Amino acid sequence: MPPRYGKLDLAAWAKSAPAINGYKTEPWILKGARIVTLNMEIDDDPADNLLPATMHPSIPEYATFCVTNYPDSPVGPFSIAELRVSGRTGVRPRGFVLRSFCDNENARRELAARWGYPTVAGEVKLSIRHDRVVAHASAGGKPVLECELLDRDVISGGDIQYIASMHLARNHDDGKLVLVQVDPEFTFSKAERGKPRVILLDNDAFGAGANLRLANPISATFTTADVTLPKIRYICNPELPAMQGTTKVAA
Amino acid sequence: MKFGLFYEISVPRPWGRETEKTVYDNCLEQVALADQLGFDSVWAVEHHFLEEYSHCPAPELFLTACAMKTKKMRVGHGIIVCVPEFNHPIKIAERTAVLDILSGGRLDVGTGRSATWTELAGFRASPDETKKTWDEFVHCLPKMWTQERFSYQGRSWSMPQRTIVPKPYQKPHPPLWVAVTSPGTEIDAADRGMGSLGLTFGGFAEQEEKVKRYRKIIRDCTPVGEFVNEAVSTVNFLYCHEDEAEGVKIGRRLTGTFNYLAAQLLSVREAYPSKSYPSLGLLPSLRQEASGPGDASGAPEGIAIGNPARILREMKKWEAVGCDRVNFLLNALETVPQQKVLDSLRLFAKEVMPHFQGASESASAAAGGR
Repeated sequence: MPPRYGKLDLAAWAKSAPAINGYKTEPWILKGARIVTLNMEIDDDPADNLLPATMHPSIPEYATFCVTNYPDSPVGPFSIAELRVSGRTGVRPRGFVLRSFCDNENARRELAARWGYPTVAGEVKLSIRHDRVVAHASAGGKPVLECELLDRDVISGGDIQYIASMHLARNHDDGKLVLVQVDPEFTFSKAERGKPRVILLDNDAFGAGANLRLANPISATFTTADVTLPKIRYICNPELPAMQGTTKVAA
Repeated sequence: MKFGLFYEISVPRPWGRETEKTVYDNCLEQVALADQLGFDSVWAVEHHFLEEYSHCPAPELFLTACAMKTKKMRVGHGIIVCVPEFNHPIKIAERTAVLDILSGGRLDVGTGRSATWTELAGFRASPDETKKTWDEFVHCLPKMWTQERFSYQGRSWSMPQRTIVPKPYQKPHPPLWVAVTSPGTEIDAADRGMGSLGLTFGGFAEQEEKVKRYRKIIRDCTPVGEFVNEAVSTVNFLYCHEDEAEGVKIGRRLTGTFNYLAAQLLSVREAYPSKSYPSLGLLPSLRQEASGPGDASGAPEGIAIGNPARILREMKKWEAVGCDRVNFLLNALETVPQQKVLDSLRLFAKEVMPHFQGASESASAAAGGR
């Protein structure tokens, strides 16, 4: 008897799924990225509604806020803010991305078409201060996220484990909905740990509605890293458990 | 080489009125049989909040019941979480002493610090502190058991002078063990003269390296207790069946279920970066080693599933790499029906145990002879 499964209303979420151009994406190497992540436990029962049936909730469930500034990319500098809900595909830790806000239209288009990022247009900003790192995201002039890492403390990049993300997308070629696994590689040049604090969160802007209730804070990290957005390696059928519905698409 | 049982006490959903009781009753029935068959020990973990994976937050109670149902088996508290938010050191000293008395001096005390954010955060314990508090606890425990009066002023806890009673039945005190999951913890065990209670399913090569390192370092140890407990245990799954294919098939279902459950938990490292937890800990090791591709039979290296001949070969390899004891997990989510678990124990005792010196001489007779 397996553990709990996600209960995401797939039909409702499919309306905002981006179109992905197949799975033959070439990697992007993004140098000098500055990444802030906050992990916060969330109320388990409603959060099950934010995971597709492919995934199991982790015990306990948690949300990851990830705000990244890429100073250089094939389409110019960009920043992105996203909200993930933690889970497992089979036995692997993964984060299901509810929505991303991105401040560069070309990047937004490429991220969606190549890796299935569920992006919408927004303004994203990182402020590095002596005692904290603050991240802001807004859309249409309205703030949707303000969060911060407090009490900056240097650690080793080797202590950090980032979790691969899962993006719900529609394959442009055959029109099928898929969950795309994106597992970037990181080469850290700097890493810090601190306390997470969410100052403002517009649940509806991220599509979470009443299903996401922040609970126990876990940790926050701030890193500088070279990031490789790799070839897509796995896709899942969003209606089936990962053990039954996973397809390998690249070595 | 000796053989024991190891309980996480995994309970399937839905947790109806009788479900938990049935699982506990099944475990106790297995323990009673294992005692008759000549198994050496029964260990029970301490876990909290790990739904389905482990419903064993009060192992001292389960072990007390085990002690009442058995005559010879040792009872292993494996492990007590040595973190003050979980267990006060005075309470550990007191309740282990009582369990040692009730079991007639059959207690082994395993120590450790928890590997999941699920548990540590549940008790509001900091992952950065657990290695330090564990070290402090294991230095205090033997003194609390043996000194008539004890006082302490330390980093994570303190107490004025008092007489901690009762004292354990075993003299000078029960053997002490350390749970070894993260790489390098076997060195912590050896440095302190404590037994290495392996909780990962590592392959032979990795384990042999660990055992060598442990035995080399323990020669120059500074024991925390009154004596050195030089002993190496490892943990394994057991499903023994006359038919190899059937044994492997059901055994793999057992290992797969266990690992699947373990993976749903939140390891410290996934959520909270800390130097104190440099590796992913127990759970990924379980997955990698116990779910590997397997040999020609389909069973992963070193895992005690299959027919008696295969299991005997694997156990002989564990003996050759220097393990003194193998403790077996028998079930997960009741995947294996109780009667099959009992039959598996009998078959193992009859066909495998007699090939090992140190395993009970009564094993063969109790299992119906060879």
